[in-house]
Amino acid sequence: MGETIRQKADRVGTFRFISVHLMETLARWIPTTPELEAKVFFGRQVWDFAQHADWLGRRTGELRSPMQWSLQPADGYLKVLEAMASATGTMERLTGFHDGLLPDLAARYRSYISSTDPLNDEPTVRILERILFDFQRLQADRAAFPAVRPDLILTDTAWPGRIATLSGAETDYVSSRAAVRTAVTTA
Amino acid sequence: MSAAAEMTKTVRGVVLVADPAREPCFTVVQTDDEMQDWPDMSEISRRERLHRHMNNETGAIEIAARCLVDYPEASWDLRMSLARQVADESRHAMLLYRRLTDLKGFKGEFPIANLEWGVTLMLDNLPGRLAVQNRTFEAGLIDILGTMRNRWREAGDNETAELLEGILADEVTHVRFANRWIKRITEEEPRNLLQVAKAVRYLGQVLERLAPRVGETNALGVAWSEERRLPPAVNVEDRRAAEFTEEEVAEVLRQAGFRSILPSTAPGQ
Repeated sequence: MGETIRQKADRVGTFRFISVHLMETLARWIPTTPELEAKVFFGRQVWDFAQHADWLGRRTGELRSPMQWSLQPADGYLKVLEAMASATGTMERLTGFHDGLLPDLAARYRSYISSTDPLNDEPTVRILERILFDFQRLQADRAAFPAVRPDLILTDTAWPGRIATLSGAETDYVSSRAAVRTAVTTA
Repeated sequence: MSAAAEMTKTVRGVVLVADPAREPCFTVVQTDDEMQDWPDMSEISRRERLHRHMNNETGAIEIAARCLVDYPEASWDLRMSLARQVADESRHAMLLYRRLTDLKGFKGEFPIANLEWGVTLMLDNLPGRLAVQNRTFEAGLIDILGTMRNRWREAGDNETAELLEGILADEVTHVRFANRWIKRITEEEPRNLLQVAKAVRYLGQVLERLAPRVGETNALGVAWSEERRLPPAVNVEDRRAAEFTEEEVAEVLRQAGFRSILPSTAPGQ
């Protein structure tokens, strides 16, 4: 990748912003989702994304940026996050998150791992590998959910595909720090 | 108190935040006299206790989740604690649901109420919410669980007793992080103590209006006696573990008529 320390920090800070945003999205959905099993599903994963944000935030501190520092992503990617979070149906929420957005986010983490120097940038690589390991469990939980609540139907069947298409189209997800005046610290 | 952006409801003249989403199978009621609860440990009473506790844990998930959403400027370590609490309460709700179904119960078998949500979400500041939800309601749960684990064991249900023991351990951590954080922010800025004091006073006023009075009955016709209205015996050991000060423990003991759970009576410790 050949990125500078600052560029790496920007990328890790962006990943942290996304993790915090996903944590908050799940938390926001909990009181407005009627089904107990879905509340619990979202609630257990809140902690996963909080931990991911925490690991990434410790790393930003090692990359000459503040500890627990977040960088707001590029506008296009932020709009994808907001679109995904706007779902109101339980299955739209669950599938938009897990079938639409997470596979794309996993691909971005894998792309970072494959393009950085695994020795020089080993701490970041280890964090992203741990997150990807967690994602496998989250996806397994998602795959098991229909058996838990077979009565819940995805009304807008195109929804997860739309989120996947939107997120896949946003290749440039990291904003330049200089261009972003709304960088969020310790959020 | 403020809940400008919230939908509200009025219960006996008290304005509370409207109920969070629940499935249609649930009958949501507003006051204790609409609830069904049995003072004994009969089979139906056991199911109702699990059912009620399951909904209370669900409310705890929702309150902690809203604190995460509503206060993004809170310190990261506190947000981490709240996120962990969301996950813990989620496990608790599912554990209780699983045990309820083991005992042939089901969601919606009994009425539920969401008082804790309605009160806590009326508060527009995080110190106040943590003072009410974690330091008061959850600390009360420490006392209740301290007693109930023993009652379930005495009734021959060790499985539920063990389940409650696990929940109790988690609740101690939730109260402890709130105690630590409130102590820190009031030391840093004494005005925060005012928000805590206002929240506790508000809670007292709400409970005074809504608590059942002696002679009133619940939905089953079971009367509220002086004894039933007493707070549970104080779980002194676990309140200390949750880092309440000796003065605070003494005050709770005074309010409970000095009834406490002796540490030596707690099996498995």
